[in-house]
Amino acid sequence: MESSRIADCCSPQLNQPCQVACPIHQNARGYLAAIAQGEFEQALRIIMEANPLPSICGTICAHPCEDKCRRGKVDKPLSIRALKRFAVEQGRGAIELARPKARREQKVAIVGSGPAGLVAAHDLALMGYHVTIFEKAETPGGALGLYIPLYRLPRDTIRQDIKNIEALGVEIKTGKELGKDFTIDQLQQQGYKSVLLSLGLPVSRSLPIPGIDHKDVLLALPFLSAVNNGKIRLDPTKVVLVIGSGNVAMDVARSAVRCGAGKVRVVCLEAKDEMPAFPWEIEEALEEGVEMQCCSLGPKQVIVNGNQIAGLNCKKVVSVFDAQKCFNPSYDETVLSDIEGNMIILSIGQAGDTSCLNGSGVKLNQRGQLVYDSNSLATSREGVFACGELISGPGTAVQAMYSGRRAALSIAKFLSGEEFKLEPFEPLPDLASGVIEKVKRLERNSVPILPVEKRINNVQHVEIGYSLEVARKEARRCLNCGVGARRLEEKCIDCLTCVRVCPYEVPVVTPEGAVDIRFDQCQACGICVGECPARAIAFNMPEVEDVLLQVESAMKGVKVAGGGPVICFVCSYGAASWRKLPGFLKGIPPQVGLVSVPCVAKLSVSHFIKPFELGAQAVVVAACEAADCPHEKGILFAQKRVDSAKQLLSQAGLDGRLEWVSFPSGDFSRFHQALSQRQQ
Amino acid sequence: MIKAEQKPMDQIRKMIADYPKVLIVGCGTCVTICFAGGEREVADLASLLRLKDRQQGGQKQFLETTVKRVCEREFIDQLVPKQAEVDAILSLSCAIGVQYLAERFPKLPVLPGLNTSFLGLIEERWQWNEVCVACGDCILHLTGGICPIARCAKGLFNGPCGGSVGGKCEISPEIPCAWQKIYDRMASLGQLHKLEEIQPVRNWVSNQAAGPRRTVKEALKISGK
Repeated sequence: MESSRIADCCSPQLNQPCQVACPIHQNARGYLAAIAQGEFEQALRIIMEANPLPSICGTICAHPCEDKCRRGKVDKPLSIRALKRFAVEQGRGAIELARPKARREQKVAIVGSGPAGLVAAHDLALMGYHVTIFEKAETPGGALGLYIPLYRLPRDTIRQDIKNIEALGVEIKTGKELGKDFTIDQLQQQGYKSVLLSLGLPVSRSLPIPGIDHKDVLLALPFLSAVNNGKIRLDPTKVVLVIGSGNVAMDVARSAVRCGAGKVRVVCLEAKDEMPAFPWEIEEALEEGVEMQCCSLGPKQVIVNGNQIAGLNCKKVVSVFDAQKCFNPSYDETVLSDIEGNMIILSIGQAGDTSCLNGSGVKLNQRGQLVYDSNSLATSREGVFACGELISGPGTAVQAMYSGRRAALSIAKFLSGEEFKLEPFEPLPDLASGVIEKVKRLERNSVPILPVEKRINNVQHVEIGYSLEVARKEARRCLNCGVGARRLEEKCIDCLTCVRVCPYEVPVVTPEGAVDIRFDQCQACGICVGECPARAIAFNMPEVEDVLLQVESAMKGVKVAGGGPVICFVCSYGAASWRKLPGFLKGIPPQVGLVSVPCVAKLSVSHFIKPFELGAQAVVVAACEAADCPHEKGILFAQKRVDSAKQLLSQAGLDGRLEWVSFPSGDFSRFHQALSQRQQ
Repeated sequence: MIKAEQKPMDQIRKMIADYPKVLIVGCGTCVTICFAGGEREVADLASLLRLKDRQQGGQKQFLETTVKRVCEREFIDQLVPKQAEVDAILSLSCAIGVQYLAERFPKLPVLPGLNTSFLGLIEERWQWNEVCVACGDCILHLTGGICPIARCAKGLFNGPCGGSVGGKCEISPEIPCAWQKIYDRMASLGQLHKLEEIQPVRNWVSNQAAGPRRTVKEALKISGK
């Protein structure tokens, strides 16, 4: 995947690795922070800025973001995909969907309603174009709806996302097949200015071996489709052999288990550690009883006994990949073995079907593959573009979504007569080893799934999902890459305070003698912001830069019976992360105005004094316990600053008016307690 | 670097008692670094003064500003437009800055918000030690880079005295004996023999005994106007 910006929501300077790794550049850091602060609707808003299929991605995305998460080098990456699902479920229905900003007259036809086609439709509709999707199947969703097993992707999830896309004005015509029900010429005659081919890979590959045409040899996609339609029950006395070890093979094997097969065996060319399926898919399949002993074996012939399949005769695989790392298996034909089995499901890859393009003027190469421009995704016929697995080959849903988005941008440029070009988008560098050493280890909270016994007899969604508390906790593990401290050159006096206070040794004196706050390494604890005597450090979080504005509005918002309002600074990851719960506000005395900040370590002495000048009668600083904070030293610094402010206030005769309280971040009753005690 | 500390609040309030509108001026260099008179301290002091004034029914106004270095004419010229607006300047600069402001703004009272403490070195982020008195005749080459004038309580040239106990000065167990340090350092340099030489009585002319000091760098001087 090349790194190019394809979403407006990412700033060229703040390229957190998760966002760059995501093909559609989801601002994962943004929504993780929102979840950690209990702002679930905001989290979904951020997700939907870049992702028109949030429910689907929250459920099945292969999460390349997690592979690049910098916490992965500290302990384990954030559980980003499952947190997305959490945000979608919490925020659904509560947020307003984006609307087209302008209306354009041009019509665009999209052939195929898989993830690529859906994203392209969404993006073009949002740009104001009239979009119609033509889908061959009776329901939209492409491979998502036809082939992905229900236990991984409940169909409501797909419908939810498609409903939102239809709400943008996208028309989806199902049961319409290109080359049979309509042609590209006809589309152009009907006024479609551009056609996008998003045909996917609907053909399961087979093997040219003896016995392969036996009726009990099935192909993966028709099998999965039949399972999803509830049309398959397997004989519990029979052994199913699944040929292949990719993700589709795992879907097939796990579906066969659920259909009642006696035994399910995976037979594959690859060695155990070469299997291309995602590790979690392999692990869950093993848990469900799928056997994966038959590795490094190449099918030679189907063994048929009478009219029943008795097994598969295999030859030994010497290597799967050649010296150029290309798929090119070599065998030792002298070492043969028989694997017992009564049914075979071939799951060895998929191919496109371009027969529908014959005579359409869209050029195909000698192998029948579509010829297209890899930058603009334009085909040889003007106005006709292609996207998704049809051009990229098998991949993940989010890769297909990227392709759809790229095609949408390219089509928009084509329709407006402009040149299509993407800006480069580079990630922040890796964390330095010195920084990694100092980051607090926080265990990954794996998303709970159903126990094996509750999942193998049905098609219930395997993943249970996070609870409110665990989701917050998991999201708080985010290292906030790229939102931290930045040195303001015009204000910095090189006093070295930041160098001396940073627990992560991020600010350094360079060999040339200059102070460098290594922005790309910053852990965003905020200690330096509160300490810098020249106020020469900017912080890339609006809540940090606007604290005093928040204080002013909090002062206005409270009911004062006498004596003035009480300002309470509270950690937005801690007690304040519960502020959307009904019980939270009830426990806040009426004269208390809350100012939530992403960790009180980002506040300076001035913040504790200024409210008094503005008329506050008291100030409470409500912090989390140090053990609950990823930046334990931040709590120490904050407490010290409160002490300094107390001394200063004492000089103005304001003793006992500033109070520090701390409690476990998950316990907001302690917060209520502290405030009501203060009141007394 | 110059180290300073804020004067007690009561003292500051007494100084400004007669002036309804006060401009608080911070300095962005030495006193910012030692957390005494930078932008933050200006803001905090202004807040506290307003608070205290209001508690007593006053209506004083405090303006806040911090310039890069108060000891430079070009920087304090930024304050010229404000001079007509205010009745006094409270300077959170070192005394050099206070005097320069007084010279620059002849019609305005200029008040010191800080006590200029010493020329010092940072030991910890929160601690500074005096190490130089700007005597004008440096002898650090004789004393292993440790100044006995600034760092010995008695300012001895031929120390230590009998009050050096366990490496500490008799005036406080927290103050290291400068002569012990000089001895240790010369020993580690293998130059103890240099300490055997008796230092003669010092001519203090360079130190102010002959009145305020001035240096003129003739090489830079351009005559005429």
